[in-house]
Amino acid sequence: MFNTIGNAVFFIGDCTLFVGEVIRLGIKEKPSLHEIAEQTWRVSMQSLSTTALAGFFVGAIMTVQFTMQIQQFGALGYLGGLSTSGTIREIGPLLIAFMLSGKVGAFTSAELGTMKVTEQLDAIRCLGSSPIREIILPRYIAIILSSFFLLAIGLLMSIGGGLLLGMFFSGINHEEYLRHIPTIVAWPSILIGLFKCLVFSIILASICTYRGYTTTGGAKGVGLAVVNTAVATMIGIVIADWLTSYICEALQSYFLGV
Amino acid sequence: MLEVLGSKVLHFNLHFIGVLQLFSQTIIGAVTPPFRIKDIIKQLNFVAVESAPIVVFCVSFAAVVTIIESSFHMKIVVQNDALVPGFAALLILRELGAVVSALLVTSRVGAGFAAEVGSMQITEQVDALKMLGIDPIRFIVVPRFVACVLGGFLLSIIANVVCILCAMLVSQLSLGYTYGSFIMGMKGFVKFQDLVFASIKGASFGAVIPIFSCYYGFKCKAGAEGVGLATTNSVVTTSVAIIVIDFILSYFFSYFY
Repeated sequence: MFNTIGNAVFFIGDCTLFVGEVIRLGIKEKPSLHEIAEQTWRVSMQSLSTTALAGFFVGAIMTVQFTMQIQQFGALGYLGGLSTSGTIREIGPLLIAFMLSGKVGAFTSAELGTMKVTEQLDAIRCLGSSPIREIILPRYIAIILSSFFLLAIGLLMSIGGGLLLGMFFSGINHEEYLRHIPTIVAWPSILIGLFKCLVFSIILASICTYRGYTTTGGAKGVGLAVVNTAVATMIGIVIADWLTSYICEALQSYFLGV
Repeated sequence: MLEVLGSKVLHFNLHFIGVLQLFSQTIIGAVTPPFRIKDIIKQLNFVAVESAPIVVFCVSFAAVVTIIESSFHMKIVVQNDALVPGFAALLILRELGAVVSALLVTSRVGAGFAAEVGSMQITEQVDALKMLGIDPIRFIVVPRFVACVLGGFLLSIIANVVCILCAMLVSQLSLGYTYGSFIMGMKGFVKFQDLVFASIKGASFGAVIPIFSCYYGFKCKAGAEGVGLATTNSVVTTSVAIIVIDFILSYFFSYFY
């Protein structure tokens, strides 16, 4: 029990130090734009179809669930607004980020871990360059950019999935479904959803690059690194979801009085 | 363009048939003797008992968010948050509890299985089993399958109960409901069949996890890169499969309410 807590504290501290070093290096020496663009393109195109599919189904599920709840009150007119708002503010970012922690996070830590255990990172150090600057820094920035983009695409797709199921499952025509979206989903909701996406992608990038960089011990070590990354990212995402919800709620009630 | 599409379809078809084959062989292995009770209990410990703290931890945070967000939405539509307990409990039981715990179990247990079976494959332990006349599917996949189905069933019930308890606590602290009024508010919405459907969902998500991870583990290529790729592929495929199955089950169950 105490051992687990100690390990968790060590993980958080070491990861923070690692990220601090990456950021310090990024400010001191300009990262190569070409490398960042290449990594961003690779990560985004690799995961685009999976994320879009996941987003579509998340929107569809939320519409089905909300239909069953609202039907009892005869308020199906509100369905479009409510399910879109619920998806964008909470469920969408959470579930799609879970998805990405498997796709982007696990893939990156497997790649970096393989480089580490086959001593490619040490080879870069031998050639007189820093592996953090050459390998880690472009990936760190690229993962933040592309996961933010992917999460936003997933949220957009969730509106489409909700609309489709609203038409075929709940029997509402598309005009009725779309009419209430602008009245319920205001700018603050969209900003909160995008802010959550940004926080999740920073957490994802930090944990997967850190865990990949510190892999030890052959093929089994790589497997262990991947498992650890996926679990740590999910726990981080759930805690960040709670924190951002709480902070945004406080800000919203302070500035807008809702 | 057409060529690429065709090869992708053929590739997908090959994987689909492989998974289906593995699934049917596992089912046959699970219902015919010999039953490996000892292995099953060992795997059940890994799947359910060791995952329980993480699942409980994450689900309790998810409950807090659910209460805060549903109170926000209620205030917009009906101007007060009197119906929050019922709606939040329904959302937790029908959707959140089972899916969140299944995705967590996927990343912990599924990735663990894929890494384990993958390293067995590349160190030729699976071939050694075949040499000894032991069916590797019966020896490796079946105990994990049975343990995951049971574990998913149990974990989804635990997750739902903890999630609702946390929701109760939070709505007392931040919205000012007493426990009694929360339970009374729940009573009008939630029926016993909700818990039954949630545990059916949990069991079916549990059935998906070992099949995909063992499939990718058996297909693992040699070297550290192969193990990493097998693990990643298994987590991604299982997560997508869980979301799709959740949609199908939600659609199907909606005719029973």
